[in-house]
Amino acid sequence: MTATHLQTTSASAVVEARRAHNLKLARKSDQSRATWFPLVLLAVLTALPLLQFTGNYNYLLHLVLFTASYAAMASGWNILGGFTGYVSLGHAVFFGIGGYVSGMILARYGVSSLITAPLAGLIAAIIGYGVGLITLKVRGPSFIISSIALLMIARILFDNWGFIGGANGLTLPTNSLSAEWSKLPYYYAMLVIAAVSVWASYRIKHSKFGLGLRAIAKDEIKAESAGINTRFYKVLAFALSAFFVGMAGAVWGEYLTYLRPNIFLLIGVSANLVLMSILGGKGTIAGPVIGAILIVALNEIFVALLGASEINILGTGVVMILVLMFFPLGIVGTLAKSGRLPRLLNWD
Amino acid sequence: MLDVRNLCKHFGGIRAVDGASFTVEKGSITALIGPNGAGKTTAFNCISRTAQPTSGEVWLDGQRIDQLRPHKITGRGLSRTFQISRNLGDMTVLENVIVQSKVDGLRGLFRPAFSSAEKDKAMGILDFLGITRIAYEDGHNLSYGQKKLMDLAALLMSDPKIILLDEPAGGVNPSLLEEIIDHIRALNEKGLTVLIVEHNMDLIMRLSHKVVVMAQGKVICSGTPEMVREDPQVLDAYLGGVLEEAA
Repeated sequence: MTATHLQTTSASAVVEARRAHNLKLARKSDQSRATWFPLVLLAVLTALPLLQFTGNYNYLLHLVLFTASYAAMASGWNILGGFTGYVSLGHAVFFGIGGYVSGMILARYGVSSLITAPLAGLIAAIIGYGVGLITLKVRGPSFIISSIALLMIARILFDNWGFIGGANGLTLPTNSLSAEWSKLPYYYAMLVIAAVSVWASYRIKHSKFGLGLRAIAKDEIKAESAGINTRFYKVLAFALSAFFVGMAGAVWGEYLTYLRPNIFLLIGVSANLVLMSILGGKGTIAGPVIGAILIVALNEIFVALLGASEINILGTGVVMILVLMFFPLGIVGTLAKSGRLPRLLNWD
Repeated sequence: MLDVRNLCKHFGGIRAVDGASFTVEKGSITALIGPNGAGKTTAFNCISRTAQPTSGEVWLDGQRIDQLRPHKITGRGLSRTFQISRNLGDMTVLENVIVQSKVDGLRGLFRPAFSSAEKDKAMGILDFLGITRIAYEDGHNLSYGQKKLMDLAALLMSDPKIILLDEPAGGVNPSLLEEIIDHIRALNEKGLTVLIVEHNMDLIMRLSHKVVVMAQGKVICSGTPEMVREDPQVLDAYLGGVLEEAA
């Protein structure tokens, strides 16, 4: 009788421990995020151009703008590549489409990309939707190859399309602001695009749609039999991710003041989006942003240290390898999994 | 309620399901049994459209469903589990369950992943199955039996009219088996129709109202458990006797 008594108490102790653990997990999923931190970051960056009153900080503004553009694009890429699990190496196409749509409107009608960026994003999204209908039928390596094919097709098309300047590209009018303030409109526009992308990916991740995308990433057959219209979800995710990349491209084109296929339609641009998302943490909200900051910063540091030789690229590569050896799921992903993610980086 | 007519599924030259026909009556527990390789799981896959049937028809409540995509079939009230539990890792048990709830239209897509009503419903289902204590556990960290229970919970979230269970007792210990039998019986008493593939004869004989026996892709016999047990063809199929071709 003592034996049975002992058995029941230890069994209920196990159940009790399990319940307590479960409650802990529930609390954790509710409380540990720090959504205020990106807002503070945004406020600081909004105030940053005030430095221009004290000296020339054009280089710093350029770096922030550049990082913001990549943060926006990587967050966009993450909707398809991170949440849905479809790694695309063709997203430079939407960067190019965004740049060219807004650039052509600017060159022909004089309307700034700051106004037309959402339209450029929309056109990128519509094209993304169409491409998705075709290429999202396959997954894994086949999908990656199809996305590279898309990039190659687009490159040939843009190189030979006289209407948009072909391989020589297109020169856009510059704005009339003085040198220290001329970056500012694009700086703020890019900041807004990055903020919207991050906010949108947060909203998507916490919606029915995001839950469905995560299910698709894990097991598409199970997701479909759970009642999820997987084809529509995937294609919509493709379109949304193209939208943000397209918007960033629109503003980037006018900021550069010229458009050329060999600036926009590079596999290097796509690869950067992938690297940033993977380094920061695929499928997390903060990951792509952290990845963008790290890769831009590493590139700048190694250029400063080693000069713009080939060795600086090696430096970035070595750091990336080391990081991924110790953080296989990306920085945010790995820390979150082991429960050691600082609250500042938990935006999920 | 579910009417399978002359279902065929060929893989190259292999006829995994070869003209199987059977019905599942509303409110019943029907078991689909047969030796390994008889085509039970393939028939399941064709009904839920996880696999495309080569030919044949599947009717649910008077509507033909074999042309629909799987998510539509789930929407019509037919849900299934998988033989090897296909749970979604990196998602909590609660998320695994709620992912199966219905989403209405484009607006529904962008509302929060869990409404409090859905959360209550999911927790209610987990409570019914006695697994609320693992609600926030990652789907990866579950034991085999817990995964089976989670699958069942997820199934119920979509308010199905008929559920297809593919070996719910496979690899499950005897005490959990009793629990699963009780759950299935309780669900059936609430009006849910059940179609079940199982190798555990004890479970089949205790639970089912009707047994459909398949061998080599064909339905060789169907009836009450007692009838099927006595049927010489069934004994033949199970004891490895060569089934005579109907010619």
